[in-house]
Parts: sequence; structure tokens; C-alpha cells
Amino acid sequence: MLGLPLTFTVPLVLTALAALPAIWLLLRITPPQPKRVDFPPLKILADLRPERETPARTPWWLLLLRLALAAFLIIAAAGPIWNPMAADSSRAPLLLVLDNGFAAAHDWRERMNLASERIEAAGREGRTVALVAAAGEPVAIEPTSPAAALERLRSFQPLPHLPNRQPHLEPIRRYLEASPDAEIVWISDGVAGVDGQGFIEGLAQMAEDRRITVVKAERASALALAGVENTGGQLTTRIIRAEPNGRDAGIVRALDLKNLPLADARFSFEGNATETTAAFDVPTEIRNAIARIEVLGEGSAGAVSLVDERGKRRRVGLVFGGTSDQAQPLLSPLYYIERALSPYSEIRHGRGAVADAVSQLIDEQVSVLVLADVGGLDRETLGRVTEFVENGGLLLRFAGSRLAAGNDDLVPVRLRRGGRNLGGTLSWDTPKTFAPFTRESPFFGLAVPDEIGVRRQILAEPDGDLASRTWASLADGTPIVTADRKGDGLVVLFHVTGDTTWSNLPLSGLFVDMLRRITALAGAPNDVGAEARNAENQTVAPRLTLDGYGTFTSPPANARAVVTRDYAERATAEHPPGFYGPVDSSLAVNALVAGDRLAPLNYAPLNARMAGLVGAQTIDLRAPLFTLALVLLLIDTLASLWLGGHLANLTGRMRRAGAGAALVLAALLITGPAANVEAQEQRPPVRANTDAALVTRLAYVITGDAQVDETSRAGLAGLTQVLAQRTALQPGEPIGIDPARDEIAFYPLIYWPIVASRPIPSEAAIRRIDAFMKGGGTVIFDTRDAFTAPSSGATSPEGQHLRRMLATLDIPELEPVPADHVLTKTFYILDNFMGRYATGQTWVEALPPETEDESTRPARSGDGVSPIIITSNDLAAAWAVGPRGEALYPVVGSDPRQREMAYRGGVNIVMYALTGNYKADQVHVPALLERLGQ
Amino acid sequence: MARVRVLSEDARLPGRTETENALTLAQRMPRLVLEARRVAASLSHGVHGRRRAGVGESFWQFRPFVAGEAAHRIDWRRSGRDDRLYVREREWETAQTIWFWIDRSASMGFSSDLAQASKIERGIVLGLALANCFVEAGERAGMLGLMAPRASRRITEVMAQTMVADRTALEDDLPPQAPIAPLHEAVLISDFLSPPREIATVVEGISSRGARGHLVMVVDPVEETFPFQGQAILHDLEDGVSLRIGDAVSWGRAYRERIARHRAELEEMARRRGWTVTIHRTDRPASEAALRILTLVSASRGATMGGR
Repeated sequence: MLGLPLTFTVPLVLTALAALPAIWLLLRITPPQPKRVDFPPLKILADLRPERETPARTPWWLLLLRLALAAFLIIAAAGPIWNPMAADSSRAPLLLVLDNGFAAAHDWRERMNLASERIEAAGREGRTVALVAAAGEPVAIEPTSPAAALERLRSFQPLPHLPNRQPHLEPIRRYLEASPDAEIVWISDGVAGVDGQGFIEGLAQMAEDRRITVVKAERASALALAGVENTGGQLTTRIIRAEPNGRDAGIVRALDLKNLPLADARFSFEGNATETTAAFDVPTEIRNAIARIEVLGEGSAGAVSLVDERGKRRRVGLVFGGTSDQAQPLLSPLYYIERALSPYSEIRHGRGAVADAVSQLIDEQVSVLVLADVGGLDRETLGRVTEFVENGGLLLRFAGSRLAAGNDDLVPVRLRRGGRNLGGTLSWDTPKTFAPFTRESPFFGLAVPDEIGVRRQILAEPDGDLASRTWASLADGTPIVTADRKGDGLVVLFHVTGDTTWSNLPLSGLFVDMLRRITALAGAPNDVGAEARNAENQTVAPRLTLDGYGTFTSPPANARAVVTRDYAERATAEHPPGFYGPVDSSLAVNALVAGDRLAPLNYAPLNARMAGLVGAQTIDLRAPLFTLALVLLLIDTLASLWLGGHLANLTGRMRRAGAGAALVLAALLITGPAANVEAQEQRPPVRANTDAALVTRLAYVITGDAQVDETSRAGLAGLTQVLAQRTALQPGEPIGIDPARDEIAFYPLIYWPIVASRPIPSEAAIRRIDAFMKGGGTVIFDTRDAFTAPSSGATSPEGQHLRRMLATLDIPELEPVPADHVLTKTFYILDNFMGRYATGQTWVEALPPETEDESTRPARSGDGVSPIIITSNDLAAAWAVGPRGEALYPVVGSDPRQREMAYRGGVNIVMYALTGNYKADQVHVPALLERLGQ
Repeated sequence: MARVRVLSEDARLPGRTETENALTLAQRMPRLVLEARRVAASLSHGVHGRRRAGVGESFWQFRPFVAGEAAHRIDWRRSGRDDRLYVREREWETAQTIWFWIDRSASMGFSSDLAQASKIERGIVLGLALANCFVEAGERAGMLGLMAPRASRRITEVMAQTMVADRTALEDDLPPQAPIAPLHEAVLISDFLSPPREIATVVEGISSRGARGHLVMVVDPVEETFPFQGQAILHDLEDGVSLRIGDAVSWGRAYRERIARHRAELEEMARRRGWTVTIHRTDRPASEAALRILTLVSASRGATMGGR
């Protein structure tokens, strides 16, 4: 209309605008109500009659206001629409095909808006609408009213698998037969589905000369992950896209099962490449915790790769042929092997007799089987182990007295009975050391320390291929590690024991490196053995599946169990991506599998009209116009009141507050959002540095976790109260600080709760903390995990977080608080430092070794204040008090005085931070008392 | 457009504010002494010494006894000191009497946002201040129909209390027609929004024995300029009469002519009786009117004014 993208639903109503002049005339001679004026001189004017009774005219601005009001109402009633969809007078039914595979999830909102715009436009034109969700099950297509179609459209969600559009061809054909003049609109994601070009070719045949509109982004914008590989020292993942789309770089993030981020890796596509890789270079134990890798910000199921047990670190099963005495673990070879393997592998111990243990471990799908000093295996077990090895398992054997006494066939070389003693009491030889590793050996490159001495070994028969099977040999050329390939697997034999009876090799770092290289050779277990027997009939039910956006949900109703643990197909509608089976041995099903590629669709056969994915942004102007008319009506009312003199009464009564507020409110309604944005932008960050400098106060680090921060604040507030009551110190309100931004030099003590899910502080923040600690400040790191930490002694996530954080800091040697440390004497005399938990250890900077004359002192201290105190007792939670002084968290422990002790510990720490080693001078007290006595 | 305000009945009575304002105003006025020679002999006493022997209370002088005088006039204590007889003379103390009347009718309780104060407030302040000035100058102030003349030092409080106690006068537009003594003076403070004929009758009644007086016409600026426009309903405060006017601007022109004529008639009437008319607009300071009244009273009585 008039070149503007504006149309009216009911244009006839606009004829009412012709009545505006009449309204103008009427309004002009209908003046506002006369005002009442009290006027004393009236009584002497009784004879003075008004000369002219013609009323004054309505002021022009009021007239204009009312005319505008009327005009707005008329225009609003005509139903104006800004940017309407191109009107189609054909009234042909509309068939809307909507791609809802994971490739559409990234910009799903735009797609939905576009689809609803199309449907609303059809509704205005009175056309029927039929909807097809391309990734869903093919169902018969029913033309419905636009309102019903809109309702149905809202129920659509992106589905987490690659769509197969071909089955929809049949319903579409039937629909097109029923309504031959239908117009087809396809809101496409531009990515070829399982069927490739099949859908387009089928549709092109059916379409004949019908109008087809394909709505798609200019370039398919979806990114996806296809395959995760856990090789060598890193975990790599493939990022693919259908065509170059400008999204050339990004971040993939690895998360664990609880959705906590573990590592980020950058990726970038080179030029027009459609695939690239990203590698996570993280330690094995972290790599093994990775359960999910996703492209950050993509928000689609295709951009999520789930990682199951198959991609994880090797599982190593240990079997010892002898009996191991639990009381003397150092005598067992397994002790050394386990210590060497545990950083890089998952250790499983076999239980029971050798045969049972081996069978059990193979059932547990170990990829490396370690037999330490196992002589011969019984026939059945030997069969299983052989099968295990031939299917790709790695058998690692260690020699020993039993193997020396007699061996089975599962050794790489023929062995001589008995062993060879070197450097024994009855031998002239000295212990032999290793020869440098040859180039063919997998150990090539490892340095051989001189100290290694082999006192006893098993000798191999000098066969022709002995040299080629030897990975390591002694200085005199006798093999010490041999290996042989059997089937797909490998048998490796150490010609010495795993313990220190034959050599000191297990004590060296070389042993660790050798075992690490050997286990790295083990292939991923191919699920043999026990699996082979029941893999066919073992079904695993979905436990946790992804929705189209790539977030975990409970499995949908149509999700079905996969029938084999070997399921390595793409996800389908029946088998949505997710974790299948029990928690500890989940099977991951992904939307894409390794080697998948995304292909762009070629729409040329359709001969279709192409449209961009940008919505027309149709705006129904009725609501704003009615609102505007309402506002004008309000203004008119106020103006009439004012002209009639009533506004003065009103304001007199309300002291101008109400009307003024209303006017201000109206102004805010109009200009509010913009003004607010400006105000926020212009507000400079104000930090109360001067306040911080004027009053001594406790400080805590704002971690970003709202609950932890609130606990820290409440905790320090509680400690502040206690300090004020019991000591001469009157601290100010505790303050939360951000070490990256705030000046921290003012605070004597900083409480830093560790939250594992928060990112590591920036390098700058770490440097400032370093400077703070070197400058005499004390930082309490609280991992808060004394209760939740694994009892096995492994490091908790918080502990790991703390370690990573402190890795670049210059941290002094630490020790648990010794009983005579001055920290235990500064105000109260304490044994340990309790918090919410009482079991955690508290670490401080190690004191210098006790000198002779100090041994009698009750308290010792170093030269300064320990810059760091590490605890896991969650101190702040024990100190935390609410607004009425009530404790916020219960303490965990049996001691009823634990909270009191926690406060005492806090007082001691604050006193220590403030007074340093002053209390250590308590040493003089006995002498002083003695003098006083005289 | 001016906004107007009408005071309630209670607000038309003088309060502490008015009294204090009046005292402040009176302090700013120059000291005034009515010239003694122009003051007619009067039987009434005043605190105002005339610097000559006469009827009074304070000692003036001893003079030798003249034969033929009444013997009781001899001051025996003084005469006992020597052989001659003395007569004790007192200073002649007389006072001028000023009668006040302050209009407190509903029409006075009116103010607009152009004015500094309402008409009644200004009228009361003016009246009390003048009374205070006169009393301090040794004269006596009375209130027409309410209070006999007196020379109390607390004349403002006394007058204010009298006005508060008298609620009947709240309806009166004009003073009572009580004649006052020939040499007394009357100060009538009102808006004089009554037909000129009625005013003339009252003034005639007061001055029937030859007394003179001053009319102080307190006017709100709105009453003078009528700055309204558009349609309006005018409402009278006393009779409840309303007048609807269609176009205030054109009516305002007629009104201004009419009010000018009213004043002209008033002045003519006053001039004939030797009275004066002072028009005081409430957007002007009160001291302006007070000074003018003092000057007029002094001039009519031949008084001198000097610095305090």
C-alpha cells in the first residue's frame, strides 16, 4: 500500500476516515466543560451581563489529539499488517514440509517463526494447510484449518537423528492427488538425509508444474561431530559440515557424565574443507571421564558425540600365580605392576584361583591381561586366553619361579627351564643392566638408567626368530622382554619378575614407561570371550537419550532397545542417540558415526523458487495502535480535567504526586527501555576500594556459584561476629572479591572455596594471588570435600581443580598442621581445625626442621605467616549464620562442640594471619612466671 | 491563567502568624508623634506626655503656689522644706484615638496565585500593625463596635483576641454606623465590594460628628486584571450567585471598566467628606500601604515623623 509494506485485513473500515471532518466540526463547537472560578467582585457586577455567549473554541491541540485518537481507532479496526506475506489470490491449499532433523535444531526458532508466518498468511487468505515433519514417521497428510495447523506446528520439535525423507513421498503423492492445485513450501535444512537426493528426485517427478518454494538458509549452517577417537596421547574428534558456511572456527567441549566441563579444544576449518578435527590433549584420567563432546553453542544432537566404554582407557586385568600376603604387599609383583599401570589404565584384579580370575577378567572385557608368575594354565582357561589374544587382546606375562618351573604355549619364545642367576653369592657375575633399545623395539627412545641391575632371568631358547621377537635385552644380549603376535593380539613376556626379587627394574621409572608403551599397543577390546557368547541376544535399553537440541532427556516413548552391544549404526527414530544400558557399561549411540559426512542437497531438479531463511517479520499493528489510542485517551482525559480546572483540585488533594507520577510513568512507558539500556551502559563500575582500605575485613573469592558465594558471605559474617565478641578485633562486613579485577592487597585473609565446575581463574588473577601470598597475605583454599571425597584416597574433582589452579603458583612445601604449630596456639589451644566436617586434613606451609633449642618450646613458627592454608572441611558452612544469627548448615560429625571448635579454629586462623608468629614467643612465659614467683 | 483559592471561615480569623507579621511590620514603620498642638484637649488620659503641665500622672514640675488656687493642690511635703508653698504639677498626657475596622467577610478570604497573601491576611496584618504603631506612638486604638479605645502595650494581641471572639461580624461587609467623636479618626480596611451607595451611607454615619477617616481597599490582582480566558462559571462567595460567561476575555474587558467606575465613585464619595482612599494590591508589600496610612494620618493631624 502506497509503496509501504502495509496491508489491511478489513480495508472497508478505512472509509470511516471520511467521517473525520465531521468529528472535527463536532469537537470544535463542543468546548470543554467550563471551569469554575470563585470571584468575589461578582456581587457589585450584578448589572454586568455577559456581552457574548458564544463559547470559546476547543483548543487546537486538544482537537488534534481527539482527531488522532479517532483516526488511530479507525485504522486499528481495519487490521493493518506490516510486512505481510506476499498475498496469493489463488486460495490453493498449502503443503508445508518442515525439516526437523538435528541439522535444523541450530536455527529452529527461525524455522518455527517462518512456518507460523506462512501458516498465518494462509489463514488470512483462507487456504487450508497440510503439515509434514520430514524427520518424523510418515503419516497420511490431512489438510487442516490454519489454526489447527498452527497448533500442530507448535508440537514439533527437532528430532535427534538424520532424517529419512523418502518415506514421506507416498503420503505426499496421495495428498497431491486429492488436491491437485496445492502449493508446496519446503522449509529445508539443506543437509542430505539418509536417502540422499532421493526425496528431491521423487518430489520433482510428482510436482510436475506445481509451484514449489524451498525456504533454506543460503548455506547449510549445521556443524556436527562424527566419531571420537581415543588414540595415543590424545582424544580426537571429527567436526563436519555439509558445505562451507562461514562458521570456520569454534570450540568443542568435553564434559563428563554430570555435564561438568572437562576440557575445551579449538577447531577451525581450512578454506572450503568440510571436515576438520579437534584434539583434547588432557591427562588420561580426565580423558577417561569424558562422556560427551559437543560443539559449543551449536545446540543440536548432531553436534554431540557421546563416548562410551569402548573409547576409554584400557582395562587391565591382573592375575598373580602365587599367593599374596595382604600384610606384606611389597612382596607381591602385582603391587609394582599396579603402581606402574594405575596412572594410565583402569586396573581390575582377578579373584580366586588363577583359572577363575582369568575367566572373570576376560568376562569383564579387559584389554590387557597381566599374568604375573603364572606357570601353566589349565586347558579350558588356556583356550579362553588364546581366544582372547587372537581376538586382539594383549597378554602380558611376567616371569617368576612358577614360570621358570614350567610354562604353557602362551609365551612369545621357547623358554628354558630354570633361570639364570647373575651376581648371586655363588656367581662371579655382577648384575646385568639393559642394553639400549633397538630401533625396532617399541621402547625405542626410552633412556636406560645405569642403576638397573638384573640378578636373575629366564632364558629363551636361541631360535632363529628370537632376535626379531626381542624388544629389550640385557647388555650381554640375552632377551629380557620378548613379544609375539598371535592372531590379532600380542603376547609380551618380561623375563624377570614383576617384583624386586629378580631385578630392581620394577623400582625404576623405566618400568612405568615400558608398561605404558605396552598397554598403548593393546587394541580396543573387541568384545570377545564372554561377549562373544551372548552378544547376539543381549539387548540394551535406552537409559538417557538426547533430544534434537542435544540435551539429555529421558528416552521418548518410541525409543527401543538396541539388540546388540555392537550397535554402531547411526541413531534412528527408533534408536535415538544416547546412552543405552546400565551406568557402568553404557553403550553410546550417536547421531552420526565415524566416517559420516554431511552432504548438501541439490535442489536443481525441483525447479523451485528459493527463499531465504529470513522471515518477513510480519507485524500485526492492531495491538500497538489500540495501545496508542488508549494512551491518547488518557492524555485527553487529563487535558480535559486540566482545562476544566479539576486537575488543580486533584493535584491539590494528591499533592501533585499521583498525576505527576502518572505522567512520569507514561513518559517511562514510551522511552523506558531505551533509557534503561543507556543507563546500564553508562553506569561505571564502582568498587569501594577506599572502604576496603579503611577497615580491616575478611574477604572471600566470588566463585560465580551463587550458593557457594552466599555461604562464604554468611560464613565470614558469622566469623566476624565471633571475632567482634571474643577478641579485640572489630572487623568490618566481609566482602566478596574477584581476584582478577579487585585490588586484594587490603585484606589480610582471603577465603577461597573451590568449585570444580567453575573455570580456572585467569593467568592474571593467578599472578595477583601469587603476589598477594608473597606479600604476606594468607589464602584459605577450601575444597569442601572432606565428606564427599572418595575414601580410596583418589583426588576429588575439587582437589583436581585446586591442583590445576595452583600448578603455576610458587607454592611452598606443605605439611599437615603439626601439633606444635603456632596456628594451634594463637588464640585458643586447638588440636585440629574443624569445619562443617571434621575429618579433613588442614595443610599449611611446612615449618623449618626443629632445631635443638626449639624442641622444648610449646609452639613453633616459621619466619612469616603461612601464605596458604588448604582444608577440605568446608569452614564457611560451619561458620555461616543467617540474619537472626542462626546456623545455616548442620555440622557433620559426632562432636557436639564441633561448631564451637570451628569458630575457634576460625578465630585462630584470623589471629594467625594478623599477628604472625607472635604467639610463638610464648616460650618465654615459663621464664617470666619463674621470675614473678621470686 | 491564574488559580484562585478561597479561605474557610476559620482561616479568616487572625492567628499567631498575622499577629507576628503585624508586629514585624510595625517595627519597620517610622516613629510617629502626633503634634501636640493639633491634638484637641481631651479628657482622656494617655501615656503620651505633651511636654507641658496638664492632666497626667507623671511628675512635671513644682511651681510656687499662686494665691487663689485651691488649697488641696499644695504639695505639703515639698512646701515643708522652706517657707514657700509649692504646687506639684503633672505632665499633661493626652492621646489621639484611632478607630479600626477590618472586613472579615467571605469575600476577603480570597487569594490567587498572583498574590503574596490572601486579602484577609493582608487586611488583618495591616490593621494590627497600624494599631501597634499608633499605640507605640502614644495614641489609643479601638475597634469600631467591638472594643473601646485603649493604649495597651499588647494591643495587637488584644485586638486579635477581640476579633476571634466576635464571630458575628464574619458576615458583615460594612462597619456599623456608629458615629465617633469629632477629632477621632477611622481606618476602614476592606475590599469595599459593596454598592457605592451603601458605603457612602456608612461613611456618612461614622463621620456625622465631624470625624475623619481613611478607606484602605485591599484588592487581589486577579480582581483587578481578570486574567481568565475561555469558558467559565463565576461564583460569588457571599450570596452564592453564579454567572456563566462564554468568553472570559471579552467579559474581562467590560469588567475592568466596571471596576474602574466603582473605584471612581468611591473616591469621589471619600473626597467630599475629606476622607482618603488607599488601594492596596496584595501582590505588593504590606509596608507600602502601612506607610501611606501613617503618612495620611500624620498629615491630617499635623504629626511629625522621625526615626526611631
